Amino acid sequence: MENLGEGTRPCGSFAVSCERVSFSYPGSGRPALSEVSLDLRPGEYVGVVGPNGGGKSTLVRLLNGLLRADSGRVRVSDHDPATEPFEVRKHLGLLFQNPENGLVAPFIEDDVAFGLENLGVPREEMRDRVARAIRAVGLEGYERREPYTLSGGEKQRVALAGLLAVEPEILVLDEPTSMLDAAGRREVLEYLQVLRSEKTVLHVTHHLEELLDSDRILVLNGGELVADETPERFFSNADLLRENRLVLPVVPRLALELGFPPAKLRTAEELAEAILARTQSGTRAG
Amino acid sequence: MKLELRDIRHVYAPSTPFEVEALRGVSLVVEPGEVLAIIGGTGSGKSTLVQHMNLLLVPTGGEVLVDGVDARSLKQSELRRRVGLVFQFPESALFAPTVEEDVAFAPRQLALSEAEVRERVLESLRALGAGELAARSPFALSGGEKRRAAIAGVLAMRPEVLVLDEPTAGLDPATRENLLALILGLREAGVSVVLVSHDLDEVAEVADKVCALHEGRVRTAGTPAEVFYGDPAQAPATVQVASLLRGSRPEIDNPVRFGETLDALRALQGI
Amino acid sequence: MTSRTLGQFYPVSSPVHALDPRAKLLATAVFVVGLFLIDSTVGLLFVAAVLAALVAVSRIPAGTFLRLLRPVMFIVALTVLFQILFAREGVTLFQWGFLEVNSGGLRLGFFLALRILLLVSSAGLLTATTAPVALADGIEDLLSPLKRVWFPAHEVAMMMTIALRFIPTLGEEAEKIKGAQSARGADFSRGGPLRRARSLVPVLVPLTVGAFRRADELADAMESRGYRGGEGRTRYRELRFRKKDALALAVTLLVLLVGILL
Repeated sequence: MENLGEGTRPCGSFAVSCERVSFSYPGSGRPALSEVSLDLRPGEYVGVVGPNGGGKSTLVRLLNGLLRADSGRVRVSDHDPATEPFEVRKHLGLLFQNPENGLVAPFIEDDVAFGLENLGVPREEMRDRVARAIRAVGLEGYERREPYTLSGGEKQRVALAGLLAVEPEILVLDEPTSMLDAAGRREVLEYLQVLRSEKTVLHVTHHLEELLDSDRILVLNGGELVADETPERFFSNADLLRENRLVLPVVPRLALELGFPPAKLRTAEELAEAILARTQSGTRAG
Repeated sequence: MKLELRDIRHVYAPSTPFEVEALRGVSLVVEPGEVLAIIGGTGSGKSTLVQHMNLLLVPTGGEVLVDGVDARSLKQSELRRRVGLVFQFPESALFAPTVEEDVAFAPRQLALSEAEVRERVLESLRALGAGELAARSPFALSGGEKRRAAIAGVLAMRPEVLVLDEPTAGLDPATRENLLALILGLREAGVSVVLVSHDLDEVAEVADKVCALHEGRVRTAGTPAEVFYGDPAQAPATVQVASLLRGSRPEIDNPVRFGETLDALRALQGI
Repeated sequence: MTSRTLGQFYPVSSPVHALDPRAKLLATAVFVVGLFLIDSTVGLLFVAAVLAALVAVSRIPAGTFLRLLRPVMFIVALTVLFQILFAREGVTLFQWGFLEVNSGGLRLGFFLALRILLLVSSAGLLTATTAPVALADGIEDLLSPLKRVWFPAHEVAMMMTIALRFIPTLGEEAEKIKGAQSARGADFSRGGPLRRARSLVPVLVPLTVGAFRRADELADAMESRGYRGGEGRTRYRELRFRKKDALALAVTLLVLLVGILL
């Protein structure tokens, strides 16, 4: 898997910052986002979780300018998405939940080129960048394939390649694996892993195990930011999880119930080892 | 009812360059009041298989038997009422102006009285925890609400076997837990449930029997413990943990569900 | 359902397939106009021979190509019949009551039938040798000068490309919805035409609503990827007009000229 160029490492104060941002959908009684403030430092990997309707999708769309905040300040790479959305979209790529409806062209390589076409990139340069992006998601050979012949995981990888070709510093992932089956999820997460070291990532998800390696986890509920924790604290906080209707995956949940630190034990092997270690020492002591 | 699939073969687009043998001889039985989970990767034939259960697809070879009788000899509308099939992402088929009207579609096809139809509609919506959605437009609902309305639409036929193809796909954890509780509730009420799922942890919680498909054939079938402990590499997390410990601590036995696994592990540590 | 079965594109490689779609579009347009300028049956027959040779060069099986003409045979037969029965010209060959079959009618009928067949064949050759995406590109390119009179050439081409992308997807969706409603007891094959049309409502409504929702999501995705209309856009796919394309156009003109003179 290929890195997409050293020059994409972001620098500066904040990659993304929101200051007391509020937004209500027209005709809706209650605000979708209410006085939310958050910052993303360059290179951070931050998770966003919370119940449906809590504001996660709204936040994501405020960041890339699809929606405009009613009040408060949003800055992405030093631009305001509400007034300079085209600029922002060069620096921030958004991966949507539905792998089907983000693919616009009849052939894969044309779709990956779409963002570059919009930026007016010259043709020779486009060919290079498209080829590299397709390699970065492991889809060499798929160039002339048509979208409807692909699996969900493959489609989502194509969408990811389309984003990577534009070389943004910031990636926002809006539940990218929720419509995929287990195999598709593994595929997509595998390729996302590689990008962690190069980009600033905001990852919205219901699958909490995807955030075990994150730097921080934000919890949005009822339009408010109710928590901002490290994974260790987050996964061990049963009250926080319950109040926000968050469900731990099986292994961390077992760990929590058995009195182990859940964030440290992610796989079945690790949990089994920890249990064996404790029972052995227990027998020795007892 | 006892629903049996015997040696089902299915070939798509026969005698064309696009010919594909999706099922190569699959046999299974759905016993009354049982939850049967069908698992397998993409391309294993899961969705193709379940569409044979109400003869939406006709097998190229083999037979479908309802209580020992060839399903093809039954009236099509009868069969489709007794075996209710819910597709993946069923909310894409919602069409009526209100949820109530949409759920009423199937019962109305059964020529029931309006009073009966209403009763069934409310009963099904309540079973899905969606009673208050009756007067709303299906197009204005959230994803989880739409899913529940769509499933209610099939449940309103009061099928003896309910077939669910990936019912929790794309749902948030709260709605997913509700659906799993519904499946268990249906089983209590004597309805058989066939659950197609790629989520093994989910299967672990509700299945009485498991049938694993691979490339159009049955790889293994049996109780969850038999199937999962037979191949722990492709098993729910609970089984993976327990099977790793069984070597040195055989008293763990073979728990599958979360609750029983937790108990077995606790007993191990002597807590 | 594949996009290759859409329209009549026949995917093999041949000299005609390799031509620039703009050349083929222009050639077809010129051809159609030229056909109406030919007034002799001999001229039409000459052009027909050339067209048949082109079909052979395109490596399209004769049977496949003739199948393209099937929808039009009814009109052709009607035309011939009309001419035969009502023309009053030339030698009378047969009379039955007030109906008269004469040589003039036969000749005219044959001429008109041949012209219709050639019209359809030229369109058929175009679509059989040009992939839908290439056609869309060619049309966009040819129409782009019209941008100066505010014709939305780019938008039209974008719409065509998106339609081509989503037709197989919508087809699968329609199948799925039909299946879901059948599973709920819907029957699409019963009753007269009115009843059948009504039974399609549970398929058409969700399909349409779904299509609108898709369009919304697609628009969001396109905007998020920096789309803002045709301004300042470059194009990944390339159309290159080569010598052989100019040659093909020249040959078309020549053939038509000969046909007109014959």
